[in-house]
Amino acid sequence: MIVEKIQTENMFLHYGSKMALNDISIRIPEKKVTAFIGPSGCGKSTFLRSLNRMNDLIDGVKIEGNILIDNINIYDKNIDVVTLRKKVGMEFQKSNPFAKSIYENVAYGPRINGVSDRKQLDEIVETALKNAAIWEEVKDRLGDSALGLSGGQQQRLCIARTLAVNPEIVLMDEPASALDPLSTAKIEELIVELKENYTIVIVTHNMQQAARISDLTAFFYLGELIEFDKTKKMFTNPNKKQTEDYITGRFG
Amino acid sequence: MESNRIFDLELKKLAQKMVQMCSQVNVQVNNALTALKDYDLDLAKKVVKNDKKIDTLDVKIDKLCQRIFALQQPVASDLRYILSALKINNDLERVGDHAVNIAKRIGPLGDYRPLVTELGVDTVGQETSLLFADVLSLVESHDVKYCKKIYGRAASLKVGCEAIAQKVLDQMMHKSEVVVVASNILIIVNLIERIAGYSNNIAESITFVVKGEIVKHKKRRK
Repeated sequence: MIVEKIQTENMFLHYGSKMALNDISIRIPEKKVTAFIGPSGCGKSTFLRSLNRMNDLIDGVKIEGNILIDNINIYDKNIDVVTLRKKVGMEFQKSNPFAKSIYENVAYGPRINGVSDRKQLDEIVETALKNAAIWEEVKDRLGDSALGLSGGQQQRLCIARTLAVNPEIVLMDEPASALDPLSTAKIEELIVELKENYTIVIVTHNMQQAARISDLTAFFYLGELIEFDKTKKMFTNPNKKQTEDYITGRFG
Repeated sequence: MESNRIFDLELKKLAQKMVQMCSQVNVQVNNALTALKDYDLDLAKKVVKNDKKIDTLDVKIDKLCQRIFALQQPVASDLRYILSALKINNDLERVGDHAVNIAKRIGPLGDYRPLVTELGVDTVGQETSLLFADVLSLVESHDVKYCKKIYGRAASLKVGCEAIAQKVLDQMMHKSEVVVVASNILIIVNLIERIAGYSNNIAESITFVVKGEIVKHKKRRK
């Protein structure tokens, strides 16, 4: 049975007077990979950031409509944003490990959440690194600086850091766009593995990547959600001409 | 955003080669069935000789599709078009072979040539030739609304060919002297029926390109 994890209803977002998202209604299922595609400036990253209230940090942002996660409006005044971001983790285009050891990068989240027992921390770090498919590469050098890892390894370390605080949703904003094909393949494989336990929402400019790893694809254009359907349908026989034109490279 | 020009050129090249393939196979089918009707052995020889050109073009189209898949990663209507081009190309090559096989069997009819007309093989042959030409025009026009008519005509021809085959079998049972030539006619009728069948398949592929629906193996209302 498909369970909806994230749901938006008639959502609008303005940056000052400029409308960035126009009447977005979408239902994102649990434990699936959902990809957002669309040209630059179409609103896909803005929408992604709305799902864990990262846009709160930007001046002049105004959001209308409902964004529900597990049927709870995350913009309700009673919502604790820190708890929300623990539940809805995020990965960025450029990996951003702390200038600390590999171990400390992953242990950081659990530590600030009150875990101080070393044995328990060790277990969390090992599990998170294993789930992020990087344990075998770093298990013998956990004390080394995270900044010494390759780009692909740093990205997987950041995923481990996100997983260490036990999120339910992982948002990814072009997580593999700066990586070589081999590292990209590892990240993609990891994303497909992660959907067994997490709901993944990914923004990507790489159409083949969306086709390879996602179960559902949403196409955004000029702040509107043009089409949202199963990925296999979107990439073989989309309903809307705009989607067809975009994915076949004949846009505009 | 500018369109993907290399990709568009590749697609255009594929469309041109498909038109060329359709045209060449159409000529082969028309010539084979005309040779059958007119007992024109020179025309039949020409059909046999021309098959090599079709085989060469078949391989060229296969290679072009392979290149587009590998280098352009087509999706949506482009993907459907290239998948169908591969399939239609394969069907056309088979039809080309059937035309050759019909042509090769015209000579051995010899004195029994009037039997072909008597049994109505000429008529189904000419109808099949027209059907095939019509479906090939759809490969270029993608005018999907005519596909249903193609399905209907192909089904009628199948029934017609089966009826002729039954008549041939009757002749074989009652006149032992015609067994050899009747076997030959039976094979020709079967080849004609297959050409009508491939016309049906090509119409199904065109429906897939235009509508994205897989209609093969679906039962149709008669």
